[in-house]
Amino acid sequence: MTLEPTSIMPLDDVRIIDLTHRTAGPFGTRILGDYGADVIKIERPGTGDPTRSMPPFYKDEPGLERSGLFMFLNTNKRSVTLDLKSERGREIVRELVKGAQIVVESFSPGTMDALGLGYEDLKKINPKLVMTSVSNYGQDGPYRDYIGIEMNLYAMGGSMTSAGDVDHEPLKTAGRMVSYHAGYAAALASALGLFQVEFRDSDGDYMDVSIFETAMHSIDMRLGRLMGYQYTGHIGTRPGRAVAVGGGVHPCSDGYFLMTGGPRFIPNIIRMIGMEELLEQPEWGTAEGRAAPDRIDEFLAYIVPWTLERTKEEVRAACEEFAVLGGPLNTIEDLVNNPQFVAREYFQEIDHPTTGPIKYPGYHNRLHREGAEMPKRRRPPLLGEHTDEVLSELGLSADDIAALRKDGVV
Amino acid sequence: MVSTGSRRLPLEGVRILDITVVWAGPYGTQLLADWGAEIIRIESIKHFPPTTRGMMPYPDRNMPSLGGGSAQFPDHEPGKRPWNRWASFNAHARNKRSMTVDLRRPEGQEVFDRLLRISDGVMENNVPISMERVNVTWERVHEVNPRAIMIRQPAFGIDGPYKNYRTFGSHMAAVVGHYSFMGYRGEDPSMTGNTLTADAAGGAAGALAFSAGLRHREKTGEGLFIELSTAENFMTYLGDQFMEYSMNGRQPGHQGNRDPQYAPQGVYPCMGDDRWIAITVQSDEAWRTLTEKVMERPDLASDSRFATLAGRQEHHDEFDVELMTWTVTQDAIEAMNVLQGNGIAAGTVMAESDAYADPHMQERGFWEELTAEEVGTHLYTSTLWTAKNTQRRHRWGPPRLGEDNEYVYKELLGFSDAEYAEYEAAGHIGMDYDLDPAD
Repeated sequence: MTLEPTSIMPLDDVRIIDLTHRTAGPFGTRILGDYGADVIKIERPGTGDPTRSMPPFYKDEPGLERSGLFMFLNTNKRSVTLDLKSERGREIVRELVKGAQIVVESFSPGTMDALGLGYEDLKKINPKLVMTSVSNYGQDGPYRDYIGIEMNLYAMGGSMTSAGDVDHEPLKTAGRMVSYHAGYAAALASALGLFQVEFRDSDGDYMDVSIFETAMHSIDMRLGRLMGYQYTGHIGTRPGRAVAVGGGVHPCSDGYFLMTGGPRFIPNIIRMIGMEELLEQPEWGTAEGRAAPDRIDEFLAYIVPWTLERTKEEVRAACEEFAVLGGPLNTIEDLVNNPQFVAREYFQEIDHPTTGPIKYPGYHNRLHREGAEMPKRRRPPLLGEHTDEVLSELGLSADDIAALRKDGVV
Repeated sequence: MVSTGSRRLPLEGVRILDITVVWAGPYGTQLLADWGAEIIRIESIKHFPPTTRGMMPYPDRNMPSLGGGSAQFPDHEPGKRPWNRWASFNAHARNKRSMTVDLRRPEGQEVFDRLLRISDGVMENNVPISMERVNVTWERVHEVNPRAIMIRQPAFGIDGPYKNYRTFGSHMAAVVGHYSFMGYRGEDPSMTGNTLTADAAGGAAGALAFSAGLRHREKTGEGLFIELSTAENFMTYLGDQFMEYSMNGRQPGHQGNRDPQYAPQGVYPCMGDDRWIAITVQSDEAWRTLTEKVMERPDLASDSRFATLAGRQEHHDEFDVELMTWTVTQDAIEAMNVLQGNGIAAGTVMAESDAYADPHMQERGFWEELTAEEVGTHLYTSTLWTAKNTQRRHRWGPPRLGEDNEYVYKELLGFSDAEYAEYEAAGHIGMDYDLDPAD
């Protein structure tokens, strides 16, 4: 198959019918949109994607066009409202699928089949279609209908046994890592499926993405810990506060700094804090000596006064200079003022009727082509904003669309 | 879903030169290797990249850093070639090949160029200064093979003041704000521990970038350079927290295991040592089922303090005590099944042993057995997703250092036996480290 080059973005002639909602699926289709795909987001008439009703809200006032969660997840998409409970609504989905390369959906397993929109149905309409389903546990297996939300999926799939402090209960990782990562997997599955169809002269495929499995594969280096368990039977638990000399979270004048210690790094740390003479003492001069457990607390008395006199950015710069591994514990406010992200113009300002122009996290990646800039992202769509546009592209007249609207289909 | 298909893997015939280190880069090339790409790891017997194939080439088996997690050797035994037995490497190396060449020398550079001419692209995640030293840059790659795709994935990108700032995933997580949310409520961040998801996120991003590059190349006939900062990529995993700040100027701080949308939510101790269950009561109905039916505590179900979400948030600590009284009498796996059977969002905090014993994972074919020389036979996670028409199958286990030298030098590059011997004598080809004293 040969395709005409159009612009910088590799997927800019790809159309995706996006039947995902909430967090995992939309995160994935958002990334495909960033690569240029035309993502047509199908939403329920009246209420739309449930994330439209989830916090955070602009100025804390709920409203379908006020959710920061929805806005973050749905840049570069077009919104079409369609009632999938009506036959006419499902018919329109099938029409859309004819002209699309990819369908991504995140209903409970079995729902798409029940609607007559399962893979077996859709591949009859479009044999080249790549369909990707994102669900909590996958399309089959004993847990298929178990409830999954970020917390329990992380507990089961991630390395939560090893997260947090040994004297406390296991600690949840921040935000929605587990859901979002499954979305990334769905984006990758869709892209590889498309490659197979287009350049391996193959029929389409159906991709089953399970959040539980993607967590077990990815989150917190679970893969490495699982391999380690195979090797020795060692079961992971949470580390103590200071597990290695020089390591830990140290207080600074304006916050905290995470430093990696241990015998390999400690000579560099000692030089960084200007205490080279320590290396001449017998208990600090050899790797064995530095590995003794007594050294951990002793060294805290040296390093903490040093970090307390410096900002976390000053400590970071010193670490870079002395080849010490570490990182400042930043807040979001720190990020928007951070010299690196500012210098790289990472954040993007996107205008929206509710919020006006506000900052969003930037692109995941940058394509470098001479003479071509990364395009600006389109703002998240208002509910049903592109219904008329997309339906007219399907060949429906203004009267047809008005009739659908009257019947509550759109 | 167990695949019923027998189709070729989608990336068969795609060859990628892999100069990745530690976790993010190698995880990305693994995702492509799993779906058929020929990933050739370019390594050097003259340089030991710390952390990738171990912390040091010949570790003392009693070093405290070999305590657990991914920093382990089979049966605690580093063996004759510890770098082939390191869990952290072997976990993300199946289906790949390994060749050795010293890119710091001109004849090593020539080998790289010859390989690049017959490859689809390069993936790397080193700090830019390391790649500049061996002259592996986009300009060079593009000149040698205009159809090649290049993914460069340094932690902070290829420019800016942090350009050569070396970090691991846990430090990137710190930099992008992760620990300002992850932490025990009311406690300083020294208790938070590490989180290492930036690397996995970066792996998926790198693999997707290469796939996008491939499509661009097929469309246009031209290669593509995609740059990816692992830290910037991971910042998007806190997208909604970022929006809260951007819209309302607010940052909520440490959440512990709680959630403003659900209550109660927490991690509660079960019977046994270090056994826990995560429970989220996601609705009023789930609340009634939990108290009346599962805990058999109608007094709690009718307690007006807990009737609404707001009430349960306000009296969270009080209810936690009651719930814990029940969970400590329960087996962590059985409790999950009982709670889930009653429509309550619950999950065992699964230890590694739970993962392998899990009936759901077993039924879905999530584990695949592979045998690797110098390592033995072990179970590996299967692919990141299942494809209905394309059977997932791992082809081989993690490659030993230099295992594929003959294939690469002789079969791919057409080296004669004499040339091969010459490169062997010159310290390019080998299966054992021969380190310069400076390294």
